[in-house]
Amino acid sequence: MMFKTQHGLLCLLLLILTACGSGESNVSKGNREGILHWGNAAEPQELDPHVVTGVPEHNIIMALIEGLVSKNPTTLEPIPAVAESWSVSEDGRVYTFNIRSTARWSNGDPLTAEDFAWSWRRALLPELGNQYAYMYYPIVNAEAFATGELQDFSQVGVKVISPLSLQVTLTHPTPFFLQLLDHYSMFPVHRATIEKFGQPGEANTLWTRAGNFVGNGPFMLEQWDLNKVVKVKKNPQYWDASTVRLNGIYFYPTENVTTEERMFRAEQLHYTYDVPIEKIAVYQREKPQQIKISPYLGTYFYRFNTRLKHLSDVRVRKALAMSIDRKSLVENVLKAGQLPAYTITPPNTLGYTASSQLRYDPAAARTLLAEAGYKDGEGFPVTEILYNTHEQHRKVAVAIQQMWKKELNINVRIHNQDWKVYLDSESSGNFQISRASWIGDYVDPNSFLDMWLTGGGNNRTGWSNKTFDYLIQNVAPSAKTKKQRYAAFQEAESILTDELPIIPIYTYVSKHLVHPSVKGLSSNILDTLYFKYMYLEPESEPRSAIKP
Amino acid sequence: MSEAIAVYKQAEQGSSLWQDAWHRLQKNKLALCGLMVLILEIILALLTPWLAPYGYEQQDLALGAAPPSMEHWLGTDTLGRDMLTRIMYGGRVSLMVGFIATAVALLIGVVYGAVAGYMGGKVDALMMRLVDILYALPFMIFIILLMVIFGQNILLLFLAIGAVEWLTMARIVRGQVLSLRQQEYIEAAISIGLGPWTIIRRHIIPNTLGPVIVYTTLTIPSVMLLEAFLSFLGLGIQPPQSSWGLLISYGVETMEEYPWLLIYPGLKLSITLFALNFLGDGLRDALDPRASKD
Repeated sequence: MMFKTQHGLLCLLLLILTACGSGESNVSKGNREGILHWGNAAEPQELDPHVVTGVPEHNIIMALIEGLVSKNPTTLEPIPAVAESWSVSEDGRVYTFNIRSTARWSNGDPLTAEDFAWSWRRALLPELGNQYAYMYYPIVNAEAFATGELQDFSQVGVKVISPLSLQVTLTHPTPFFLQLLDHYSMFPVHRATIEKFGQPGEANTLWTRAGNFVGNGPFMLEQWDLNKVVKVKKNPQYWDASTVRLNGIYFYPTENVTTEERMFRAEQLHYTYDVPIEKIAVYQREKPQQIKISPYLGTYFYRFNTRLKHLSDVRVRKALAMSIDRKSLVENVLKAGQLPAYTITPPNTLGYTASSQLRYDPAAARTLLAEAGYKDGEGFPVTEILYNTHEQHRKVAVAIQQMWKKELNINVRIHNQDWKVYLDSESSGNFQISRASWIGDYVDPNSFLDMWLTGGGNNRTGWSNKTFDYLIQNVAPSAKTKKQRYAAFQEAESILTDELPIIPIYTYVSKHLVHPSVKGLSSNILDTLYFKYMYLEPESEPRSAIKP
Repeated sequence: MSEAIAVYKQAEQGSSLWQDAWHRLQKNKLALCGLMVLILEIILALLTPWLAPYGYEQQDLALGAAPPSMEHWLGTDTLGRDMLTRIMYGGRVSLMVGFIATAVALLIGVVYGAVAGYMGGKVDALMMRLVDILYALPFMIFIILLMVIFGQNILLLFLAIGAVEWLTMARIVRGQVLSLRQQEYIEAAISIGLGPWTIIRRHIIPNTLGPVIVYTTLTIPSVMLLEAFLSFLGLGIQPPQSSWGLLISYGVETMEEYPWLLIYPGLKLSITLFALNFLGDGLRDALDPRASKD
């Protein structure tokens, strides 16, 4: 899962418009009407769960669609969702899900096992270009189907036993498989709707537009105004509709974090996607109950495009990685309790901490660069850091640009692009070094490691290593014990640290501003939100005298 | 600015209009002040690499955003970079964008408008329709296309902005010329056999100078702000370089915590714009050819 962006004017305009439109603030109106106003960072690229990759998209999809299994919002333990129960075979390879008979699509159609089988086939169609296809790879033959080697989906380990019973067979027992089912790439999509607007393997058709969209989540799509707002309202067909207390959610593309904070202060938002660095201390001092900072299972890093000549040299990559003073960066630039990252997997992910770590060693970095033929930075090609427009990314990039200039005497340019353009440049390999971040899709080191498989949709660096692939695809999944499995991860991660297709920079914290009237918002290290439990409860206002 | 000075030099040898104008300008204290400030700023901008106390990219992360002090007279920004230095370097970019882009707009706009207005008829209609078409073209798309095709380049930025700003100039000049060419002295010039180009150069353009100068003084600040906007979108200059417009747009974001990041660049830009406006005002009065007859 990736990240976010900025655009001042629109948000400001939005702020002015909404502020002028009614005398009442969004928050107090929302509290009265049960509408949650949500700062969502960026205009969603799409709302198709088999196409998107970003956090802003994730938030909206979590309101619109639900998978077989959901998670406890605090502990992240799998809990029943569309499947009311499931059983696992003794060898841990065969899962049988019993779908609840009350599960419905938002248009009233019953939701069946067939829907899941069809959706999963669609998600794996090579022509769809789903960057998350590898989430399915624990399933027998899913990879072969996704890469086009296998044409016959009936050979993939997904079997409809009865309309309300689905059997999934895995290649290896996969401890995190249930967690995967709560990831949007494994969410069901409505067949009739998709087929009405295009081929199953066609991305970006009109099926995700308001009025067309059919989902099965606690909310349904009401309105999607480009660059303005995405509105969702309560879905009466949802099987657990009685739990849902909000009447709707408005997601705003608050790309500029400063404007977002101002909108929050003007009571235009209940919840912000981020907090400006400068405001953190102010809020902690003056309104500590409104700022929420929690550990976040995510790593901020830079991708190298290893297809380029100078960046294909591991010594160059190492030199660049070793000359970043991460400690100074988190303490002086980011200032919200982030941790310097020396590995891609965040420390203590389900008890796993990578043992091979990068060092900060500018002297060694200079030697490496000289060995690569660029003594004292001489002749080093002008290299460009690409980032999606956002205040914080710019600050980090400028700080790193200067560190490289100072330690290695190389000139680096900085270039920003709008979120959608940036995603496109990155996945088409049209970059040199690009800012990126990875938020765990489930709590397991695997979520941070399997993306670097050769040709993986989220790899994007052009890097490939056979031993690494083997460790992640064969050794770790077939490990008998947790210890053996983690040993395989350790070995894989040491390859990553040796070859550095990426530079880990820091481990995230999630930071949000939350209006006191928002209740039922639990925090977890994935920062995954379950809107169905949230509700709004205005603070008890001073009781006005009742007049006869 | 250098453009105007060059014009004076040329003027001193020939037309007395320029001498008159210079005399009249000297009487206008406010305009002279404006001129001095601008000259001073240009000199400062030229000498910045030698005068600036720090490097514009030099960071002191541990220091962070610090208020003005003895070491950093105007404080530092959030990455610990000296504000005075950044404002000085920013001035180089801003002044360059302001003057070069405006000069480009001036050159194209005045010539184009004068020709269209003087020729009249079909030529005029054709030329002005072209302006209309360019007006209708979304400016941002035009600039983005240029940047995509030619890559990022400050010089290109100047040209791109200039190439967009000349449209209004052309319209203003054309309107002026339409009324001027009915005047007797133009007819007289035609009757003694002067060619159209000479007439445009000798008679038409000097007479349109008033509105053109006023519009120019308005163009310079708008061009400077446009540059900030483009840079913010990633199309203009790139960090760690800076310009006044960019410094201001960053300053706005943190104005409550670190007001000095907004105040000083804002002050600097305001002073420059004031100077430009006073000078423009003075020049307009001084260059009015009708005033020379009294």
